[in-house]
Amino acid sequence: MSTPVHGAESQAFTSAAPTVARRTGIQRPPIERLGVAVRTVFLVVGALLFLMPFYLLIRNALANRREIVGLKFTWWPGELQWTNFAEAFSSTNDVPMGRAMVNSVIVSVTQTVLTVVLAAMAGYGLARIPFRYSKLISGTVLATLLIPSAVTFVPTFVMVSSLGWVSSLRGLIIPGLFSALAVFLFRQQFSDFPKDLEEAGRIDGLGWFGVFWRVVVPNTGAFFAAVGAITFLGSWNSFLWPLVIGQDPSSWTIQVALSAFTTSQTVDYSQLFAAAVIAVLPVLVLFLALQRFIRQGYESTGSTG
Amino acid sequence: MSAPTVVAPRPARRGTLKQRLLGPQNRNLWFWVFVGPFLVGLAIFVYVPILWSLYLSFFDARNTVTPTDFVGFDNYTFMLTDPAFLSSMGTFLVFAIFIVPVTFAFGLGLALAVNRTRWFQAFFRSAFFLPAACSYVVAALIWKMSIFNGFRSGVANGLLGVFDIDSVKWLSITTPPWYWLVLVTLRLWLQVGFYMILFLAGLQRIPPILYEAASIDGAKPGWQTFRYITFPQLRATSVAVLVLLLINAFQAFDEFYNILSNFGTYPPYARPPLVYLYYVALGSQQDLGRGSAGAIILAILIGLITVLQARFTREKRS
Amino acid sequence: MTDPTPQRPSPLNRRQFFAVGGSLAAAGVLAACGSDTGRTAASSPGAAASTGSTSTATGSSSAAVSASSVSGGPSSSAGGAKPTLQQWYHQYGEEGTKAAVEKYAAAYPDATVKVGWFPGDYDSKLASALLTADAPDVFEAGNGPSIDAIQGGLVEPLDDLLGDAKSDFNQALISRMSYQDKLYAIPQVIDMQLLVYRKSLLDAAGVKPPTTFDELAAAAKALTDGDQKGLFVGNDGGVGILTGPTLWSVGADYLTDDDKVGFTDPSVATAFGKLHELFASDSLLLGAPSDWFSADAINTGLTAMQFTGLWTFPDLIKELGDDFGVLPWPKFSADGAGAPSVPIGAFGSAVSAKGKNVDAAKAFVKYLWVDNAADQVDFAQSYGFHFPARESLADQATKLKEGTAAEAVKILQEYSHAQSPLLWTPASATALSDAVTKIIKNGADPASTLAGVVSKVKAELKRVVK
Repeated sequence: MSTPVHGAESQAFTSAAPTVARRTGIQRPPIERLGVAVRTVFLVVGALLFLMPFYLLIRNALANRREIVGLKFTWWPGELQWTNFAEAFSSTNDVPMGRAMVNSVIVSVTQTVLTVVLAAMAGYGLARIPFRYSKLISGTVLATLLIPSAVTFVPTFVMVSSLGWVSSLRGLIIPGLFSALAVFLFRQQFSDFPKDLEEAGRIDGLGWFGVFWRVVVPNTGAFFAAVGAITFLGSWNSFLWPLVIGQDPSSWTIQVALSAFTTSQTVDYSQLFAAAVIAVLPVLVLFLALQRFIRQGYESTGSTG
Repeated sequence: MSAPTVVAPRPARRGTLKQRLLGPQNRNLWFWVFVGPFLVGLAIFVYVPILWSLYLSFFDARNTVTPTDFVGFDNYTFMLTDPAFLSSMGTFLVFAIFIVPVTFAFGLGLALAVNRTRWFQAFFRSAFFLPAACSYVVAALIWKMSIFNGFRSGVANGLLGVFDIDSVKWLSITTPPWYWLVLVTLRLWLQVGFYMILFLAGLQRIPPILYEAASIDGAKPGWQTFRYITFPQLRATSVAVLVLLLINAFQAFDEFYNILSNFGTYPPYARPPLVYLYYVALGSQQDLGRGSAGAIILAILIGLITVLQARFTREKRS
Repeated sequence: MTDPTPQRPSPLNRRQFFAVGGSLAAAGVLAACGSDTGRTAASSPGAAASTGSTSTATGSSSAAVSASSVSGGPSSSAGGAKPTLQQWYHQYGEEGTKAAVEKYAAAYPDATVKVGWFPGDYDSKLASALLTADAPDVFEAGNGPSIDAIQGGLVEPLDDLLGDAKSDFNQALISRMSYQDKLYAIPQVIDMQLLVYRKSLLDAAGVKPPTTFDELAAAAKALTDGDQKGLFVGNDGGVGILTGPTLWSVGADYLTDDDKVGFTDPSVATAFGKLHELFASDSLLLGAPSDWFSADAINTGLTAMQFTGLWTFPDLIKELGDDFGVLPWPKFSADGAGAPSVPIGAFGSAVSAKGKNVDAAKAFVKYLWVDNAADQVDFAQSYGFHFPARESLADQATKLKEGTAAEAVKILQEYSHAQSPLLWTPASATALSDAVTKIIKNGADPASTLAGVVSKVKAELKRVVK
């Protein structure tokens, strides 16, 4: 398990066969020039393909129905329909989009904060506090990694419905707070933390919690950002659990609402895409802003296998 | 991440005076303060449900979570001989056979290309990674209504129109099974960037000195260096990617449900295991006994895959 | 509807009521499933929506309900401790329907009624919710609650609500929503599905309204022209709505009168095989932007004939004027055992047995669906067209007495067929629907594929016949 690489940005990306000639760009053999050309074309075409769905999303949100599902392809709406946004979120809509957006924000923010706090504490405890049964406990946590949570939606639903949490924010938030994976990532991170810093804190009279809170957390802020950003993304985009638990439309998240919109009998494609843009854009902005942390978080996830 | 460097680190020793005074009791207390809340939640929301589900799977539990009608292994034998459940496993296999190697190849290919390009590297990396922030639900909307809709306004049919080819009803017909094209391209778009990032990180970790040594030995850049240096060095990353891909494919639900379901029904093709269980247990059938049995079977399978993979990598690593 | 598909609504018609109860008798079986898969018809979809950005209004006539009530909660009453009731509806597509049911709820003096309105997969949500403490107090279910909900004690018997009105309700629906002589839902309005065609297009092509399946397939072929297809039976190729009509067209049925499997005759396989030929013939509209329950496809010229619901009539009249005619789904062959048919079903209003205010819930159901004639008539004809469930109200539903709607009512009286029987469970419906999908779309061998369903249906019957 390797720690995430850092400073990826700053290192020149060179991995393959760095020859001096290549760096200075002089006189490359034609075969190599051909290779560069092929690679560049591949990347440009690929990037255009990968960005195309985002263009469609925005185009559709501003188009009228005929332009979306009509009989010919249009590059750009004849007339921008900005009203689609207002209509998608109007209270007369059969699908309560505004409410769904609010639910999504509440659920994602709460889940992110609580998941990170719980997992960081548990990860630190397992990494640093000597305890007789620590290994055994790690084992029980680790065992749950073998079974992805998606597979247990039936039993979890049974449990949550018995508690009477169906169609409630509690039912949406609480069952997803206990991420064994996050605990393991934190445990690994804290195991690599320099012990002498903690010792120094202890000599200054800090207790377990003080060392954790004043010394460890401030020095691993970037890792918290990574786990937090990934948790937020996962929470915002999750669909199966909110679909199962959100039976009443007042408890739908934005993903469930969008899904219901498509099977609505009065599906209005323009409004649907306008709502989808609102559901995706904030996350894209956040994603771009935190890209570096998210990458590092994913890298450490990947290395846990 | 940014661990501040410390000058002259002292070896950490457990036995400082202060710690000894803390005594085991206090340590135990703090251990529970840190780990307890998480453990309690894990017990209630992971272990209890799994045990409850195990209990339910031995009962005839329709429309109830507190059944009384014990049926032994009937639910298991039913599920294991249920053509629909078996065919959902078949669907998973077909899907995995497509998606795992293709995503692997594309993710690695993009990582190699992005890694070596000297222009706009950050732009390319972001462009391929960006879809990872999109949800399957939104992607399914775009795919279903805008790329693969049945008319010329869809990108795919619009493109065919340029060549004067008839429109194809991608999602309505099953021969040829074009719906696989829709499902597979969607998932590729959404996850290739993520795996590219993992491979890029793996490439970063390869010591440049290996390449230098190889070129001194006369290895040609390109296929030879890839075959003898890059790829072997990426082994750990590759194994991790394969396992993640397989487990993610096993859990496929969102895009299938959003592209193929129709007012509470789902066609008998392209129905992966989770979708089938969803309809059995939580659809109008409400058959929690059989649904639980199916969930346990799946959980065991996934657990086995993960354990086998762990064994496999451990051997490799040694 | 039939079939398994769940959620689809099926409509029933006003039929009958006019009188003839008889024909319905047959129907005793009416519709099906509530939660099951097959949703009945009810939904009417519709209209609305469609076009672009502005919303589209549908034709409904009525000026209906002012929007003021929208989404508002119940009217505030000054009262003290009134019970609060949750009432659930699936989403009706016609504009104004939601505001209307909210208005009815707000007008109820004895309780605060909150309306839940469910786009998408209503049956699953309802089935799950009935198991929990959060079950809605009052809810509608396609053709009444499912047999599992009834046998599991999840719903209240409602016989005592009808009083003298019992004989006024459509008896076929009453018996469909009853189990062992207890009534579990009050029929709200009747929905019907039928075949609608553009008269002008048939005339131009020289095609007569078809009376057998082969004529229908030939007509669909003749009417197909470029982007306009001949026939639209749903984006799934008819799996969802044609299963019942196909069975009846050869004289078969889901279950026989003595609760045995009713589709083992070889003629059934032949008929489904023909549906595959139709599917493969390129004369069916597939992948349409709106599904069969909306009049969009026929209104926008994508198809010349469409199997849809009576509820779309306001929309059809608005777009096509009198350029459309109605037909039942034809019998399979002129000399065969079957008959033409139109499926009918009804959403019934039921009461959860687990609610905290069962008595208040029953009182509300009685108020709205038994006593309140004015709202029942409004609900039946002001948004999409449905047929009142009470025969004495048929005369008040004036919009069903003119033009093509009146013709539809005639067809209803003559050919109506209940959607599916009470003992046709969701699991049976799913098994048959899977088989029919394989036959229609993949061209699987009809006889052997249908034979595979029989054992599953038998197992289900064994479970529910008590």
